[in-house]
Amino acid sequence: MLVAIALLAFEALGSGVPNQIRAYANDIVAPVLRVLEQPIRAVQAGLERIAGVSDIYLENEELRDENDRLRQWREAAMQLSRENERLRSMLKVPGREVPPAATTRVIGVGGGAFERSVLIGAGSVDAVTRGSPVVDETGVIGRVIQVGRWTSRVLLLTDINSRVPVRLERTGDLAIAEGQNESLLRLRFLPQGVQVRVGDRLLTSGHGGAFPPDLPVARVIDVVDDFVLMEPLGLLGKLDYVRVMAYNPVPDEDAAIPDAKEGSQ
Amino acid sequence: MNALRRPAIVSFGFAGFVPVIATFVMVILMMVPLGTGAANIAMPNLVLISVFYWLSSRPLLMPYWACAVLGFFLDLWLDVPMGLNMVLLLLTRLFVLNQLKHFKGRSRLVHWVIFAVLSFALYVLSWLVVSFVYGAMLPPEPLALQWVVTAFSYAPVGFLLGRLRRAAM
Repeated sequence: MLVAIALLAFEALGSGVPNQIRAYANDIVAPVLRVLEQPIRAVQAGLERIAGVSDIYLENEELRDENDRLRQWREAAMQLSRENERLRSMLKVPGREVPPAATTRVIGVGGGAFERSVLIGAGSVDAVTRGSPVVDETGVIGRVIQVGRWTSRVLLLTDINSRVPVRLERTGDLAIAEGQNESLLRLRFLPQGVQVRVGDRLLTSGHGGAFPPDLPVARVIDVVDDFVLMEPLGLLGKLDYVRVMAYNPVPDEDAAIPDAKEGSQ
Repeated sequence: MNALRRPAIVSFGFAGFVPVIATFVMVILMMVPLGTGAANIAMPNLVLISVFYWLSSRPLLMPYWACAVLGFFLDLWLDVPMGLNMVLLLLTRLFVLNQLKHFKGRSRLVHWVIFAVLSFALYVLSWLVVSFVYGAMLPPEPLALQWVVTAFSYAPVGFLLGRLRRAAM
């Protein structure tokens, strides 16, 4: 009991177990989690298939319509991309594309009710570094806080320690998207007088260097006076495959503060 | 004489380690992304259920060191403050051993109610401890939800552990 209380006291003083030990501990349990996830994913896929059989015809129709629309959008996007590229080269603006360091699966979750984090199946051997942003197909989900050899832990946007500098897409105003340990985010530090509307999208602003600019973060779902609640655009409730971006935060946290307390984004 | 001195967990042979092994499996199960991928709020605290169950039925097979080691791994793998689950599991053992004489042999419903009350107290304690460690009051709602899920899961998980106990011992 004394040992446990001492460990808690060390955590409170900010000198708890070094992150690297936790990261290697994750490496040890990862093979077991990978084995366990196979039957679970098979059962989940089977249940989804059974649930989907009844409305497969309607879904097929909707997908055809969506496909037609997407083809038109693709043409427009390619045209805009070419034009953008031409203008960038004329103005000598450097490209902002961030290549992926790794695409991997979520193999575990952590934190219980205290922290929002997931364990992913890529680590230092896959060129994942601490602080790398992590996205899924719809938006930002968080950033890497521990890197083991074969696994990494990702602090999700919804964690209470998560702060992401964002920009209101409609107006360009800057603010901070703050996690609350719940499914929704809160918008903080928005300049006075900015009218936020339900449905507004928030993108990363790129400030602070933790995230590259213009990644989709969240959508406003409720505005009560100065209290703005947002729903993350990343599918945090159904995470499967995620992409770790090869984007090195500036300054490099590992180099600057070797054992800094994790969390603040 | 030597046999008398040996700890119960050893004298039962492999069967003596079943409670600890089963609870260790629960530690790993708590990390599996079931249902929601974001965070296992909806995942009951299987380790707490398992420790309480085995302490209620075979207290000697869940010694203090086992509670501490299980709590240590849970803290390490769930990435919560180190020592938190160690304290919670050790307090569970302390409580059950002190109060077992009052509820041993009573119905499963009584065990369930006692578990619900004990786990509520432990969740309140963990909320206070983690808020202190993080230096900010955490929202209590996710914790309350996990406590409800854990309390309701005691009966089915206890049933499965009971089957395991009958099969292994």
